[in-house]
This record gives sequence, structure tokens and C-alpha cells, in this order.
Amino acid sequence: MSLKNILENFSYYRRDAEAGGHHEYEHRFAMAIDLDICTGCNACSTACYAENNLPVVGKERFEAGQAMHWLRVERYWDEIEGDYPEQGAKMIPMMCQQCGAATCEPVCPVAATYHTPDGLNAQVYNRCIGSRYCSNNCPFRVRYFNFWSYYEDSWPEPLRMQLNPDLSVRDKGVMEKCTFCIQRIRNAKDKSQREERPLVDGDIITACAQACPTDAIVFGDTMDPESRVSKAWAKHQIHRGPVTAKKQKADEEIRGYRVFDELNVDPSVMYLERVRDTEV
Amino acid sequence: MSQVIQDKVIDEKLEWSRINADVIASMQSPRRAYWVALAVCIAMLFCAVAAEIYQYKYGMGSAGLNNPHMWDMYIATFVFWIGMSHAGTLLSAILHIIHAQWRKPIYRFAEAMTTFSLMTAGIFPMIHLGRVWNLYWVLPYVSDRGIWPNFRSPLVWDAFAISTYLSSSALFLFIGMIPDMAILRDHTTGWRKKFYGILCLGWRGDDRQWRNFRRTYMLLACFLIPLAISVHSIVSSDFAMSIMPGWHITTFPPYFVAGALYSGCAAIMTLFVALRYFFRMEEYMTLNIMEKTCKLTFAIAMVWTYLNLIEFAATWYGHNIYDKELLIDKATGPYAAVFWTMIFCGMVVPFTLCFQKLRRHMPSMLVVSILLNLGMYVERWMIVAPTLAMSHQPHQWDVLWGTVIQWAIVFGSFGWFGLLFLIFVKLFPCVSMYEVKELCFHLKHEIEEEEHEKQHAAKAKAGATAGGGASPAGNPGLEGA
Amino acid sequence: MSNHRLLAMFKDFDDAFEVVDKIKGKALSSVEIDDVTMMSPIEHPDIDEKLGDRPSNIAYFTLMGAIFGVTFGFFFLAAAQASFLVQPQGGKPVIALPTNFVLMYEMLIFFAVWTTVITFLGMSGLLSRRGTLYSEKLTVDEIGLVVEVSDGDLESVKSFFKENRALEIREEKV
Repeated sequence: MSLKNILENFSYYRRDAEAGGHHEYEHRFAMAIDLDICTGCNACSTACYAENNLPVVGKERFEAGQAMHWLRVERYWDEIEGDYPEQGAKMIPMMCQQCGAATCEPVCPVAATYHTPDGLNAQVYNRCIGSRYCSNNCPFRVRYFNFWSYYEDSWPEPLRMQLNPDLSVRDKGVMEKCTFCIQRIRNAKDKSQREERPLVDGDIITACAQACPTDAIVFGDTMDPESRVSKAWAKHQIHRGPVTAKKQKADEEIRGYRVFDELNVDPSVMYLERVRDTEV
Repeated sequence: MSQVIQDKVIDEKLEWSRINADVIASMQSPRRAYWVALAVCIAMLFCAVAAEIYQYKYGMGSAGLNNPHMWDMYIATFVFWIGMSHAGTLLSAILHIIHAQWRKPIYRFAEAMTTFSLMTAGIFPMIHLGRVWNLYWVLPYVSDRGIWPNFRSPLVWDAFAISTYLSSSALFLFIGMIPDMAILRDHTTGWRKKFYGILCLGWRGDDRQWRNFRRTYMLLACFLIPLAISVHSIVSSDFAMSIMPGWHITTFPPYFVAGALYSGCAAIMTLFVALRYFFRMEEYMTLNIMEKTCKLTFAIAMVWTYLNLIEFAATWYGHNIYDKELLIDKATGPYAAVFWTMIFCGMVVPFTLCFQKLRRHMPSMLVVSILLNLGMYVERWMIVAPTLAMSHQPHQWDVLWGTVIQWAIVFGSFGWFGLLFLIFVKLFPCVSMYEVKELCFHLKHEIEEEEHEKQHAAKAKAGATAGGGASPAGNPGLEGA
Repeated sequence: MSNHRLLAMFKDFDDAFEVVDKIKGKALSSVEIDDVTMMSPIEHPDIDEKLGDRPSNIAYFTLMGAIFGVTFGFFFLAAAQASFLVQPQGGKPVIALPTNFVLMYEMLIFFAVWTTVITFLGMSGLLSRRGTLYSEKLTVDEIGLVVEVSDGDLESVKSFFKENRALEIREEKV
């Protein structure tokens, strides 16, 4: 039976990312983050903690590098001369980029991380054995490992009441990462199904996008040409798939880029460069 | 003196009955240092067991691992032990195929080293798992849920490669020991007689058994060589198949194999000195054998040095920003001291092996071999840690030196290996008796033949002089007399 | 009519080979060279030459094991992958040949080694009881020759061995 299966579908099973893989995508969720209007307030990160049952690890463990912030706001500094060197601060919210050709996926020994038909890079907590290879092979370093049983002291009573019932609380020894709020995606899909209508832009909003006071984070489906995120991607000339050629940025307005695009991992998050007043 | 006599690795006039008696006696009454070493190993192992219990209970955080450093010394130690295991194959299989006779007195313990260092190495991927109790999910078993491991992951290749290598090298070790088991069955008493009687599988030494034995041994040796190469290439794939700077390097498989042989040879030198002392094996593990081992080690050290330098050169000229920055950072950054220790121990120390005086001086060889192994250990560490410390994402740069738990487990692994090895050499002959006999037998014949030829040549010469200056070209085999 | 099995012990290979040569030269009417078994503490390189062609076919089985390993490896992996489509992609195809080759290589060696060892156990006659005729000196330095003779020839064969410097002769009824 399986021999027949192999022979009949061999060419299909041999399709790689360039040929579209064997997935028929239903959606490809993506983000666009405008760093020019990001203030670095960390509201997204906080919202993520609340939404996704992220443990607060405490000072010592944070210093030891064992924090669990799925979405972290990274700070970099440009050396700027002048009266206000603080202006050189750059903020970039960094979360799992849900790569189309994710490097974390093929290295997992037990197939605990895989690609969903929604274009998401899913992590199956129950299957994870904690080899941590996925994290080592992630250029963005956005995978977080439960080095301890954080749940034991992260939510003392009555804080336990605030846990989100839509997803699990993880124990020690499993890898986790940003899911693009997969529980919200699930709910929105169920709702649209009940109402017998297709999923439309705005049905799903991730916790970080919801919390962003300046609306810097836009979330949506790039397979829906009418969505905000699709339009933003198109406007800034970012396309799905591997990088083919370095594009010429003729227009000052075109600020889009994907982090580590040159590694050909096909990230699903587009960032818009910050425009400095010193440069303008 | 002729070349054969000068190079002879053992006294060919050793009585065969004495070989039996000496080896059996060594197994029964080692020097006191043996027992001290055994006690030290047990104590070290105890440290590791305690640390592992703690880590199992509280999680991997107790090893000090953190977000960029998902792997650290555990994986470095894993690679180190896998590397050690390659020397046994080199000595027993490769040198067997090229008929290097001098391997015979020392290959047994080198092979045991292979098996036990693999058993040590195999533990590390397990204890470094976050949920070690689910380890069996890596195995390709048929499950009613239709779930399989991911055959694309180099970690699954590791599982396949290590189990193949462990079972093959253990079989190779066992098959090679069968005739010795028969010797022990015949010449020991009490529980040992029963024990070896079972293990020798009814070996009688008849021609049919020898013939099949030789065939099997040769076949296994032929399979073991590509297997050993593939195992360490696969271990290098753990790194080379990734996308990380400093790991994603094309020369990694040969570089790892060379490093493996190198550290393995250094370990053989250490164990050579130790066993020679513990079991009073001076007559069997002779200085000539040590010299040959040293020369082999030196040659491999130079191969490793070359591959290491070529890796740096490729990184430098490749001008990949991530790789190049990492290389500069290794040499000048927080890990610089460790990096230069590796360069010194791995590339400079082997030059001491060029001096014959040193090669024949056991205490200095002990020190040199330990230094070489230290160099090889930190080499593995310098492969694993700096890449994680300084990878693509600068926000996540971090330097890690490990915690007590991590160091205790790494330290204890040496105890575990030592314990297994010391028990082995007490239970089984660390010198292959039947092959030492073969060695003596062949050596005797070679020397006889040489002397015969010499006489013949002398006679011919005398005849030629008498005949009035005939060409000496008619005297084959006349050389270096 | 019952047979006897004789074990004659010799000091070294030279003595033993001398006897073998004599048997080859029909010194004994009742013993063929193919019936002679030589027991020795080490393997003499000339043993095949002296005793005549006695084939050992382990390598065929090794080849079979290797071929089985590599084909089994391919189909096992491909079948597993093709029936487990919910698996990590990373942009890679379902049946990823380069990675499967690595595992096929390991399986080739694994099966080849195990078939070799199992065949060796069978072919060499280990683990089977073949008479109690044995001397502990065989694992020290003496060489033994085993022949099977009928009762009538027993004495003549014994005396033949004694003439040819046999150190000791043991016998058993078959």
C-alpha cells in the first residue's frame, strides 16, 4: 500500500519550497511592522505575556538569559553626533518570523515543529523532547526553552486566575515561541465557519497588534490581496519566496525589508525602516 | 643491525606459554595504582550522577544554559567522546587492512576504548534533552498514530549512526577476542573459567574456525572504516547542516574525522602509558610500539592542523560577514584564552613528538598526550560555544562558562569511561595473546629469512670477489646490513 | 562398525606440516587429506596451502546483507515519510533523498555487519558440540591434528603419528 503510495505520488513528494512544497496553502499569515512609528513602549511584549501564558521568570533567571519573552523589543544604538545622542536609539520588536522555509523545521528530530497550511511554523509542545536544535538553527534566536518549571512560581495565587484558558501552560523541557496567536486564529476561523462566510481581513488580530498604541504592527493574510498586510507588502516591494535579486530602491518611500532576507528563509514579517530626522 | 631487528616491536623469542601466563597474571594482580584509579573513577562518576539527578528534577536551567546557548559543553563533550572512539577503529581496522604488525599488542585496548567512549558519548545527547523520558521518540518504531521521527534531522542520523557504530564496534571487539577467551577458558580456574567458557562460544582453534574467523575479521574491518568515517561526518553534520556562522562549513566532515583520529591517538598514548604501568606490560607494550604510535599521532596532528588552518583561510577569504566576525571574535573576544589554548595544544605541542628522546620517555608522553587531548577537548568547545555566543542576532550575544552541574557531568563522564575501561581490562586481556603469538611467529620467520639471505649474500660476495669483481646486482635483498 | 577420532599433538607447525605433507603423499591408506582437521593456537598463513582448498563463503552473505540493508533502508524511509505528511517542511520535499542516502548508508553497514557475524557463527561451527577431543595445550603453543579412522586402522595411524614426533595422542569413540 505504501509502496503504491510512493510510486504514484513520487514527483509530488519531491516538490521543494521553490516548487511550492506539498502544502496547498489556505492562508499565509504575515505581518508588517513600521519601525518609524514604533515608540519602543513594550506594550506588545506585555500583551504577549498576558495572551500566551508566558511566565515571568524573575530577575536572576532573566539575567541568566532564561527569559520567555516571545516578543522582545530589541534596542540598538547608532552613534549619532550632536546634542542628542539618545536619538540614535533604534527599537525593533522581534518575534518568530514564521519563515516559509524555516531552518528550525528540518532539524527537529521528532517532527515537533512543522509547517501548517496557514503558513505558520507550529510548535507541538507534546511532541517536543527538548533537543533544542531548532533554537540553535534559528538565525533570529526567537525560540524559547523552558529551562525550569516556570509555572511553579510565576503565577502565585490568585494570579493563576488570569491564565488564558485557550492555550496550555508549558512545563520544563519543551521549546516554545511566538505562534502569531494561533488560538485567536482558531477562534476567528471557527467563527467565520459558523457564520458561513470567508475569513476577512480584521477578523484576526494578534495580541501585540491589538496592544500597539501607534498601530505599528499590522497582521493579516498575504493570500488575500485586499488585506492591509498584502497591500503594505506590495507597496514596499516585498514578495514571498527566496530572494532573487537585490532590488533597487528608487523611491524614498519604499522602506520595506525582511530581517536576514539574504539567508533565504522567507520570513513572514516585513519591517519598515525608520526614517531619521537627522537624515531627512 | 638490520632494519627488521632494529624496528622490531617485541622480543620474538618470547615463549608462547609465557605470553599466556603474563597476560593472565596481569589480569589477576595489577599494581595498586589500578585500584586507586578505579576509586577515583567511581568518585567522579558519583559527582556526575548526583548532578544529573538534580538536573533531571529541576530542568536544564540548572546547567546554566540560556537562550543563545541552547547547547554547550554537553554537546562539545559528546563530540569529544565520539572522536575518541575513532582511534580504536584506526588501529584495529585500518592498520589491520594495511598489515601493520605493530598494532597487534595494543589494538585490543584501543578497540575497547572505541566501544566505551561511544557508550560515554551516547549518554550526552540523552542527558542534554529537555525531556529525556521521551527519548525513544527518536527511534523509528511503528506507532498506531502514524508518527515517525524526522529523518531529515542530523540528530536522527546521529541516533542511527551511533547505534550502528556501537553495535558494529562491539561485535568487532568481541569477535576479535574469541580466541583469547578460549585461552582464558583453558588456563584459568573458578568463576573465570565458567565465564570465559561461555564467551568463547566453543572455540577450539580448528582450521575451519580460523579460516572463517579471518574472513569475518577482515570483512568487519572493511565495514568499520567507512562506518567510522561516516559516523564522525554525521556528527559534524549536526553543525555543518545548520545555518549558523562557524558551523555551516564545508570542510567540517573531514576536519572532524581528522580531529577524531587525532584525539583518539592521543588517548591511546595516555592509556598506553597507564596500562603499561598498571599491568606491568613493559615487555608487550614496548617503546618501539610507542614510537610508532607517536609518529602516527604526529602525522594526524599535522592533517588536523592543515584542515584547521584551511578552515580559517576559507572563512577569511569567503568574506561572509557573520563567519568572519565570528572568527575574529574567537581569536580576540571573550573566548580568546580558550581559543589560543586550542591552537597551542593542538598545533604546537605535537612537535614534541618529533624528538626520539621524548618519544621514549613515558612520563613526558603521558603529559604530552594529556595536553593533546586537552587541546582537542577545547577545540570541540570552540566549535560549539562561540557560534552560539556570537551568531547572527547581536541582541542575543552572550558568553557562557557553565555551572557546577554542567562541569560535574562533563567531569563525571571521564569517570564513567574510566570505570568501564578499567573493569574491562581487569576482566578481559588488554593485550591480544593470540595475536602477540602471531606477531612473534612472523617476526621470527622474518629474522630467520633475513639472516639466511645475509649468509647467502655474504657467500655470493665471497664468490664474486673470488671470481674477480662480478656485478653485485645479482644479490637481491642486500640492504642496510 | 565404530569409528575412532584421534587427536595428535605436535611441537610446532613444522612438525605438523610434515605429517600433513606425508598424508597428502598417501602415507596412510585410510586417511584422506580432506578429513584432516588442524587445530592451532594461532593461524598459520600457509594453512590453506597445506590443507588444500577449503572455501569460506561468508562474503556472499555479507553482500546479501548489504543489499538488503540499502534497499530496505530506502523503502522503509520513503514509506515512513510518505505516510507522515504532517511533518516539518523547512522548504524541503517530503521524501528528501540526500538525507535518506545518509541513513541508507548506515543501514547498509548495519545489516552487512550483523549478517556477517551471524553467518560466521554458523559457518565456523561455533556454538555446536563437535566431540570432546581437545587439549588445553592447543591454546598454548602446540598444534593438533584430528583424523577420524575406523577401528581396524586405529593402531597403524597411531604408530604413524608416533613415528612423526607426535608428543601426545588422544582418542575418543565416535
